[in-house]
Amino acid sequence: MKNLHVDLELPLDRFTLRTEFVATASVTGLFGPSGAGKTSVLETIVGLRPEASGRIAFDDEVWFDSKRSLRVRTEDRGIGYVPQDSLLFPHWDVRANLLAGSRRSIEAGVDPAPVLAGVIDALELTSLLERSVTTLSGGERRRVAIGRALGSAPRMLLLDEPLASLDLPLRRRLLPMLRRVCTELTVPMLLVSHEPLEIQALCDEVVALDRGRTLAQGPPATVLTDPRVFPLAESSGLANVLAGRVIDTVGDIGRIAVGGAGGGGLEIVASPVAAAAGADVLIELPVNQILIAVERPNGLSARNLWPAVVRTIEPRGALALVTAEPTGGGEPLIVELTEATPAELDLAPGRAIHLVFKATSCRVYGGRDPEPDG
Amino acid sequence: MLPVLVLTLRVAALATLGVAVPAVAFGYLLARRRFPGHRVLSALVGLPLVLPPTAVGFLLLRLLASKGPLGRETLGFDIGVLLTWKAAVLAAAVMSLPLVARTARVAFEAVDPRLEAMGRTLGYGPVETFRRITLPLAARGLAAGVLLGFTRALGEFGATVIVAGNIPGRTRTLASAIFSAQQAGASGRADALIAVALVTGFLAILVAELLSDRQGGGR
Repeated sequence: MKNLHVDLELPLDRFTLRTEFVATASVTGLFGPSGAGKTSVLETIVGLRPEASGRIAFDDEVWFDSKRSLRVRTEDRGIGYVPQDSLLFPHWDVRANLLAGSRRSIEAGVDPAPVLAGVIDALELTSLLERSVTTLSGGERRRVAIGRALGSAPRMLLLDEPLASLDLPLRRRLLPMLRRVCTELTVPMLLVSHEPLEIQALCDEVVALDRGRTLAQGPPATVLTDPRVFPLAESSGLANVLAGRVIDTVGDIGRIAVGGAGGGGLEIVASPVAAAAGADVLIELPVNQILIAVERPNGLSARNLWPAVVRTIEPRGALALVTAEPTGGGEPLIVELTEATPAELDLAPGRAIHLVFKATSCRVYGGRDPEPDG
Repeated sequence: MLPVLVLTLRVAALATLGVAVPAVAFGYLLARRRFPGHRVLSALVGLPLVLPPTAVGFLLLRLLASKGPLGRETLGFDIGVLLTWKAAVLAAAVMSLPLVARTARVAFEAVDPRLEAMGRTLGYGPVETFRRITLPLAARGLAAGVLLGFTRALGEFGATVIVAGNIPGRTRTLASAIFSAQQAGASGRADALIAVALVTGFLAILVAELLSDRQGGGR
């Protein structure tokens, strides 16, 4: 995987953005609140901000170096860019938009036909091909924009808030599609988001940015719970994101196996679940929706009760974050408590506890279409 | 009557053809580039719109007169424009340039520059971006501007009469024919000419309106 080296200084309206990071993962997230300068970073990488200074290199290929007055033109960088407002070409239909970058693809020695066929399949664009882009809904536009960028055989893909301003049913559809695109493609991606969920569901690594400064870089779970980063996520709320597979459903309620192949049979009961048995889904479980019980509770209405072991307890302002590892296996879960609670419950690393959460606290993404797009 | 109309349409069409490319280029330059003298160029291009047409005609006359920069004595040969239909074309072109350039500028300004930037990210160079993105998106506005220029050229009188004169059968257009008919007291002939002018002008401006209505509908 090629590395993107970014070292930038860019004067913005309210502050000067100064950031330095190396994107080494296959999907790197750029996380921060609105107005942190994330979009400006993407635009500079693409080459659309001539006022920037610094250095941008893609492996040993320098795209921009203000000290050497070196600037590779946007069209020669080979970046696929998906801006937040999609910016489809209004004078072309969906098919023509998807084909917009095919010449570059051919020049790069990549036959665009199979690539586009895969993109059309992964993003479910078949029924849209003949449509005029002016009649598309927000989610459809986003998908076409991603497809258009991928159709140009990009060496890197930049996504700006791919799920922002879409409603929940749409996110439920688009998030798994994006995940498929992320895992199936060998194109490194840089994804901007102010939503922890997107970062956790899609990124291998994340760079946190606030008011133009890099705060932290590392795996999503580590960075998002970092004392400087955690407060930035609070408005949209931090959640545990788990990948799972539907075991069966009864009405709206579904049983989902989580923890991967070697997960050891952990099971979540969630509602509503729109996916059919066997479907791969993502489960979003907000950190403030999990209860901790120091003894096994009885006669509880909550459907999920997991034995676990406390790993860490960290104060975060008026709150405390407890990391607990389910004894059934799988990834540790983060639980948000008020600051004094861990002491009152006598919680300490190594202590056995029970995690309790309701079926309706779990938001399940993926599976069949819960609602038509539009 | 018919030869007058034919000559008028021919002069206006040739003037429009001649002015379209430079006016669109000016419009693009003013809409998309920032350079020293931007405002000065903008004012210069707009000048024929605010000057009395006769003043423009007189300036053209000075330019083409035998001792002028493009005259017989300066060039060493006669380019043979003055008092011919070519002079009428030149006058109409100069007078309609600001209208076409301004409409073109507005049409280009209505194209979101970020769409052009998207073209660049998909591998288009500046020329290809212009050809595949900017030009098609501005096309309706440009067409409306060119039509507007054509209507302006149809009715051109002040500058035309000075450089091309008002020679029956050679340089007499609708506008000068109406003037002559009125001077000669032939009001019936003037009425007929005005009716022709009304119909052609109305049709041209109607089409221009239709085109500009649809501009931007796709954004």
